[in-house]
Amino acid sequence: MRKLKIKNLIILFLIALAFALIINFPHISSIYMIRVLNMTMITYLAVLSLYVVFGMAGQSSFAQCGLMGIGAYITANMCTRWGFSPIFGMIMSMLGTALFAFIIGFALFRLKRFYFSFSTIALMTILNGIFANWTKGTGGPVGMGNLVQFSVGGFVFDTEAKYFYLIIGFSIAASIIIWKLFRSPLGRSFMAVRDNEIAASCMGINNLLTKNIAFAISGILCGLAGSLFAFLSGYISATSFALPQSQLYLVVIMIGGSSSPIGALIGSILINLLPEWLRFLKDYMMLIYGVGIMGLMVVLPEGLVGGGKDLYAKYIKRKRSRVDAEQGL
Amino acid sequence: MILQLIVTGISLGVVYGLIGMGMVLIFRAVGIVNFAQGDFLMLGAFICFAFNQKMGMPIWLSFAITAVLIGLSGIVFQFITYWPLRDAQDKTIIVSTLGASIALREMTKLIWGSTPQTIDPLRGGIVKIAGALLQWQYVIIIVFAALLMSMVYFLLEKTLLGNIMQATAQDKYAASLMGIPIIVAIGLTFFISMLITGAGGVMLAPIFFITNTMGVMAGVKAFAAVVIGGFGSVQGAIIGGLLIGLIEVFAGTYVSTTYKDTVVFAVLIISLLVRPQGIFGEKISEKA
Repeated sequence: MRKLKIKNLIILFLIALAFALIINFPHISSIYMIRVLNMTMITYLAVLSLYVVFGMAGQSSFAQCGLMGIGAYITANMCTRWGFSPIFGMIMSMLGTALFAFIIGFALFRLKRFYFSFSTIALMTILNGIFANWTKGTGGPVGMGNLVQFSVGGFVFDTEAKYFYLIIGFSIAASIIIWKLFRSPLGRSFMAVRDNEIAASCMGINNLLTKNIAFAISGILCGLAGSLFAFLSGYISATSFALPQSQLYLVVIMIGGSSSPIGALIGSILINLLPEWLRFLKDYMMLIYGVGIMGLMVVLPEGLVGGGKDLYAKYIKRKRSRVDAEQGL
Repeated sequence: MILQLIVTGISLGVVYGLIGMGMVLIFRAVGIVNFAQGDFLMLGAFICFAFNQKMGMPIWLSFAITAVLIGLSGIVFQFITYWPLRDAQDKTIIVSTLGASIALREMTKLIWGSTPQTIDPLRGGIVKIAGALLQWQYVIIIVFAALLMSMVYFLLEKTLLGNIMQATAQDKYAASLMGIPIIVAIGLTFFISMLITGAGGVMLAPIFFITNTMGVMAGVKAFAAVVIGGFGSVQGAIIGGLLIGLIEVFAGTYVSTTYKDTVVFAVLIISLLVRPQGIFGEKISEKA
């Protein structure tokens, strides 16, 4: 009992520490670093969406960046061209992307395993083609610039620091919702579908609908990430929403570990901050990064979180066996 | 005009078919999908560029050397990405090949720079067939790719080596009980797969420019070819490749040049919905 209390205290302390760090962070670091962290959190939201559809429901999707692009372009059109309020634009981005994912899901989820992955590659390429060429709706190859800033009422988010609070607020909210989803019946049905579809349908789960809902939830997160990206960078073009970026998200979640949202967080932090720390490597950066992914998959096939859990389990086991030995068992 | 389009489409299509065939061979042998296949096409083009342009060797000689070298690099690739992970889950191997794809792209960029390069065509000039003017390169691609494909088919179906490879692909454990060295069979499969992919790169290089991203689109289109043809079927990859090549060329001419890739992948999604198992695929019911 006492042990449990100490654990709770430690967690509380860590949360307080994190809050203090978050609140003070913009005051103690450069604008550039805040920018990097903002992009990290947007990546995190996109990877979190992949966690829902890939980590929970077990469908490896290569279309997340395309969904993000849909969210970004909806926001850009709504707020800059038609003059709706940014909040409304953001909500429409989330709903629009979710609706798109839900409807296209009925077609794509008729396919299983590899075939689903390929159809999402095709979807991603189609979306990128549309982003790059539809001059009327997306600005074509030029992209869309001079996007309006995010604002609530009269309060305009016009600095990196203000965006930092906004984005981190959304990230925390999204993480809590996904954590709740993990514990909910819906989340458990996702995992049932991931582990064994036939068994899941025997338990009365509608496989197609469940996968669709997972894809739609990931669509909400992607729409949010895309909308925030459009507000933050003020300029969007088709090159930001291409297949390599989608593949990167899959790599990120595998590096972090696809078994929990913490893996998504660790992976996105690693992928965004490593280039900053390893700046002295210059041109060799990407090469080392590619080789590093291969090496990491050999050493830690379950990602950093999975590897950590294994290590912890081994530690506990060894401790127990030592206790047993001391007691002469 | 129509004949020219058909020849162009078929020559692109056979190259997609070659890459797709490489993917199918690997998929059948070890059950994984190789996301770095397109990058071996790019690597083949660059190695040939090094021999042909930098060292000034004749194109056919550099083609032959490239083919062997790229096959050997396939064996190395196998030892790095597949062999240490052979007991891991599919998704781990997929991510490992994605990492290999990034590493290959960056390596070629570091070695040869990012300016687009070109190599000598296998045969320059123009030939007149049935009243249509065609570039020799397209005709040679078709002839040569057909030759390569039939050679691989002969090797797989009619020789002892092919039997060994097929046995390994079907059941590794049983094959090892028959005294087949599995690692040799798998290594050989990767050798052949990468050899035909690299040869495709050398043949495409004079038509497109050689850049370190030329493999991305070609690789994705080869995927499309394989899926349309039916995953795991060699003749399916070839037919699918031809279809993709023809659709791409005709859509580029009659629909719109900017949307030709969009049309290709829309066709892929439609074909997946109509016939998910592909043209030559067999419907396998799920096992509990």
